[in-house]
Amino acid sequence: MPLAAKSHDLSVHSEEQVPRRRLLAWFSSVGLFGSAVLAVISDLVFFKPRVTYSPSARFSIGKPDDFPPGTRIARDVDRVCIVRDGNRMAAISTTCTHLGCIVSISDTGFSCPCHGSRYDQDGNVTGGPAPKALPWFKVTLAPNGELEVDKNSQIQPGTYFNV
Amino acid sequence: MSAPVTNNKVGQASACQADGPEARPTFLTALRELPSNVWSSIFRHPLPSTDLERSQTSFTNFFLHLHPVKVHRNTLRPVYTLGLGLISLFLFLILVVTGILLMFYYVPSTTQAYDRMLDLRGTVAFGIFLRNMHRWSAHGMVAMVFLHMCRVFLTGAYKKPREFNWVLGVVLLLVTLFMSFTGYLLPWDQLAFWAITVGTSIAGYAPLIGSQIKFLLLGDTTVGQEALLRFYVLHVAVLPAVLSLLVAIHFWRIRKDGGLSRPGNAGGLGPFPGPAAGESGIVRMRLEPGKRVFGLQGFVRGPFTKIGNTSDDSVYSWPNLLMAELFVFVLTVSIVLVVSLAFNAPLEQPVNVMHPPNPAKAPWYFLGLQEMVSYSAFWGGIGVPTVFVLLLFLAPYIDRDLKGVGRWFARERLLANTVFLTLVVLNVIFIIVGTFFRGPNWTFVSPF
Amino acid sequence: MRLALAIASFVVLIVHGVVFYNQFVHRWERHQTAYFEQARSMSTRAEERADLEARTPSVEQTIVTSFGETRVDRCTTCHMAADDPRFAGHAEPLKAHPYSAAMGDVFRNGHWERRHKFSDFGCTVCHDGQGRGLETHYSHGEDEFWPEPLLGYVTQATWRKDFEPHLKGKEYMEANCAQCHTSEDFAGTPHVNRGRKLFYAMNCYGCHKIDGLSEGTLGPDLTEVGKKFKVDYLWESIVEPRANLATSFMPKFNLSDDDVKALVVFLKSRRGVNFAETSLDRYKAHVANIAVVIPPGTAGEKAGEQLITDRACTACHKLGNRDGGVAPDLSYEGLEHDRDWMMAHFKNPRSRIPDSIMPSFRFPDEDFDRISSYLVSLKTAPPPMSPEETYKALCARCHGDKGDGNGKVAWYIDPSPRDFTKPSFMSTKPRERFISSIKDGVPGTSMPVWGHVLDDTQVNAVLTYILQTFTHEPEHVIKRNLPDRNRVATSKDSITHGEQIFLQRCTGCHGRKADGKGPNSLDIMPHPRNLRNSWFVDRLTDRRMMESILYGVQGTAMPPWIDYGLSQHDVGDIMNFIRSLNFGDRLQNPRLLGISLTVPEIRSTPHARN
Repeated sequence: MPLAAKSHDLSVHSEEQVPRRRLLAWFSSVGLFGSAVLAVISDLVFFKPRVTYSPSARFSIGKPDDFPPGTRIARDVDRVCIVRDGNRMAAISTTCTHLGCIVSISDTGFSCPCHGSRYDQDGNVTGGPAPKALPWFKVTLAPNGELEVDKNSQIQPGTYFNV
Repeated sequence: MSAPVTNNKVGQASACQADGPEARPTFLTALRELPSNVWSSIFRHPLPSTDLERSQTSFTNFFLHLHPVKVHRNTLRPVYTLGLGLISLFLFLILVVTGILLMFYYVPSTTQAYDRMLDLRGTVAFGIFLRNMHRWSAHGMVAMVFLHMCRVFLTGAYKKPREFNWVLGVVLLLVTLFMSFTGYLLPWDQLAFWAITVGTSIAGYAPLIGSQIKFLLLGDTTVGQEALLRFYVLHVAVLPAVLSLLVAIHFWRIRKDGGLSRPGNAGGLGPFPGPAAGESGIVRMRLEPGKRVFGLQGFVRGPFTKIGNTSDDSVYSWPNLLMAELFVFVLTVSIVLVVSLAFNAPLEQPVNVMHPPNPAKAPWYFLGLQEMVSYSAFWGGIGVPTVFVLLLFLAPYIDRDLKGVGRWFARERLLANTVFLTLVVLNVIFIIVGTFFRGPNWTFVSPF
Repeated sequence: MRLALAIASFVVLIVHGVVFYNQFVHRWERHQTAYFEQARSMSTRAEERADLEARTPSVEQTIVTSFGETRVDRCTTCHMAADDPRFAGHAEPLKAHPYSAAMGDVFRNGHWERRHKFSDFGCTVCHDGQGRGLETHYSHGEDEFWPEPLLGYVTQATWRKDFEPHLKGKEYMEANCAQCHTSEDFAGTPHVNRGRKLFYAMNCYGCHKIDGLSEGTLGPDLTEVGKKFKVDYLWESIVEPRANLATSFMPKFNLSDDDVKALVVFLKSRRGVNFAETSLDRYKAHVANIAVVIPPGTAGEKAGEQLITDRACTACHKLGNRDGGVAPDLSYEGLEHDRDWMMAHFKNPRSRIPDSIMPSFRFPDEDFDRISSYLVSLKTAPPPMSPEETYKALCARCHGDKGDGNGKVAWYIDPSPRDFTKPSFMSTKPRERFISSIKDGVPGTSMPVWGHVLDDTQVNAVLTYILQTFTHEPEHVIKRNLPDRNRVATSKDSITHGEQIFLQRCTGCHGRKADGKGPNSLDIMPHPRNLRNSWFVDRLTDRRMMESILYGVQGTAMPPWIDYGLSQHDVGDIMNFIRSLNFGDRLQNPRLLGISLTVPEIRSTPHARN
């Protein structure tokens, strides 16, 4: 394509000078850019899973009567420790906050076999490399009369559920 | 893209031109000439014997168009680059080939992956060998890429105009690490599972977004089938594509930056006619109206496309650069083969989610991180590494002095080199400590 | 161009927006928000109300792994109130799942406790359906590609409309209860229990195998039929056995809809799984050799009779008060065949009746012995009856109530029972031939020897009855001028020439192998004769064979070949050829050629032909 002749003409009617062209260019860019943005957001939404195949975060542990006062029992499959103190109930996570191992119940609270983290009865860190305390999970009473633990809801440690 | 027939060739009919009434070749002659016709239709230019022909190889061969016509002598000095970039590239090629072959037998399913690994080790022809090659090339590539970065830094080759190429290189380092990390999980044995559990937990320490990132990466809250699938897709499709693209741009930038760095003029371009000393050396396009040009190369009027008008410090790519590359390739492949023959890649027990090993260690290139994490989760896992990576990214924009480029350990760059080496050595020490000196519960143990 | 680009870009933006929006609008979200609102209004605790206020719709699922494969049940995403007793009276999908004592639920301390907890069982293990779907069309199994639609609630578009009303009803779910509750009289599975009883009572067990229940090898193995097929297929297979396989010889039983439903529920429960039993139990059931003992069997009878029940002979035959409706009546077997005949027939039925469909059972010899002993003992002749009664009692089973050869078991017999209503056949054959057929039987076919069951007077009376009632035409036999014996000597050349003519003229109906299975044979009734049926062919006199070929057989498709240029000499060659196909060495024994055997000695066994 011969370069010399036409370039002169092109420069005369630039985008800035023709309002119609500006408008159309604006439309095009809004349309294309907007689509691109929507596409990117869709990709991110796609990437975040809506369901996982691990056991449900919210699960039933049984009736209140199944846990007599003074119970302190670890459910390794669910990675949670159920505590009943009088008529108050709590569910403390047994996943070590260091690197995810399962802590076991010890006389003084919890201890982790992987890297030596130590926790007290309420899950506060007393030794080892763990950076944070063990989270407490929300305990509720379901309509069918059973207790439910929701691992997606963390509550303030020390908050008990009254049965 | 050969030169046009000029007037002094009038009278000389070229071989394929018709001369006279009996122009059409008969079927039999076509048959007889078939082999040579086929050959010459593929390889249309003779093996070079003149400088012109040597120059033309960069324009007449698809694969060789990567090369400039001439390279500076310094580029080919083994002790300058140690061939580290090339080694990294060739290791990547080996990884791609062995990886694709392994894909024919591997299944990314938590119930099948380990069994498939056993099959690869036991029954698949060359299975154990391919897997070894893949594993050792992977470790090799991480190490070589890291050493390549060290070389580039210590020779000051990240300075202007090569800043962005350096940034690309750091990105490539991170992608390489990510590739190795995603591949590490695939055998689905205890080693793989817990290494990735540790690694992703470290990622989870990031403030605010840490748990979200971890969830996105794993597709779940813990390492499981979703994580295996995501890591597999990243490892075999997404990251190789990204890596290839970035490598292509990396090479393009090398050409555009005027080739590898070398001692001498600032900007590293050497004493040529062309851009004066001190100028940026970026090759500018100059349109010359009226002249006939053939192809893109004709536009580029930088120093290296001048034929017969260059200094003595440069040599033709053909055959020198090509031979050097081939040599490095052969060396790389040989070493990988020997190592793969001698050492087997590890395959530990099948995954047992209830039985974390004590200690659970991340892959070796992250052990420095893990060691630091044992001192402080946030600073060791997120803070310090982020600072280090940021420093790497910003190095060419902080250190603007153009002196000392093209030489190892140039005195003018003592400060930069010292800082860099200190951090590198620290990281290496942490890795060594993490590998050999840490035992159960991450207590200090003696390896002797 | 700019305008086109601008418009296209905007259109693409709108489309992206629609796609984006589409992914965020789901029907289940509306059900969930409805549940949150209603539950909130019913709630008595402030804490619970606050929780419900804060809750946003999300996919609810139960993952169940204790029943073999992993089940992911997302039913509660819409059926949010399944475990909320306050919603007992609401409309679906927000209706609470009912409680009942029949399902093991217990009423204690003022509220129900569910025995089959959803967290342990999920939903699909009892209801079927597609757990992973989130739209009704998929989750309820209305999609015809889904193999397990909701049992008893859903019919699929490809199902036959006339079956649909039968296939709905909660009782179908009993099939899934039986996956764990396998005992025969479990109160919760009455239809399964009834179906199981019918499985025995209707003799299904004789042809069909179900691991742990029966051994039959004639029909398909039904151990996992409930897993392989949906209820519409099961229903159809019972009421129309030939709907899916035209050559099936499964009888068409006359069952009431209730009975069919019970059988379908029982068969649907055969899923090859029994969650309550161990792998070892299952394996043992699979390899066990089931000796079937059915309720009517009374102790103390002869071993052979017991064996007949155990081995389900009455799944096909008639004996006593059981009748399979497929095979001949054995009630007078001791009068019709001798022991040697029975043993040979047992080992290979085709050694006596070449086109029989009775399978060669691989029972031990002593079983055959005992059964034969029992059958031989059935020597009691029927009481004297009128010809009409005699016909109905003895002949109608094969020849049909209307005498048209379409009796109950006619379809299973080859050669087919004679059609008496065809005057062109019946009136052109001499009476003596019919008498002989009745008295002496027709060897090589299922026509028994009635000579020991009926006396001559009775035989004559029945024949007269048949001719008068069904044929309606007087005898009109054409006398042909033919020699009694084949004039052409048997020689290699004669046989070769006969074979040539046979191959040119006869194979179209009689087949290349002369077995009556030529390409035209399917459309002809009666079928062309199987000329390798030695028991039959050997009993033909030369004269009869010559007449059949030269002058044809009126009332059948056998043409008069004299009209097509065959001479007597040609026919003689053909006859030599045909004879050479049967009991070959009899050629050396002239006594056996051309002589019709009278009442065959019951004890004689001409040739063991295996």
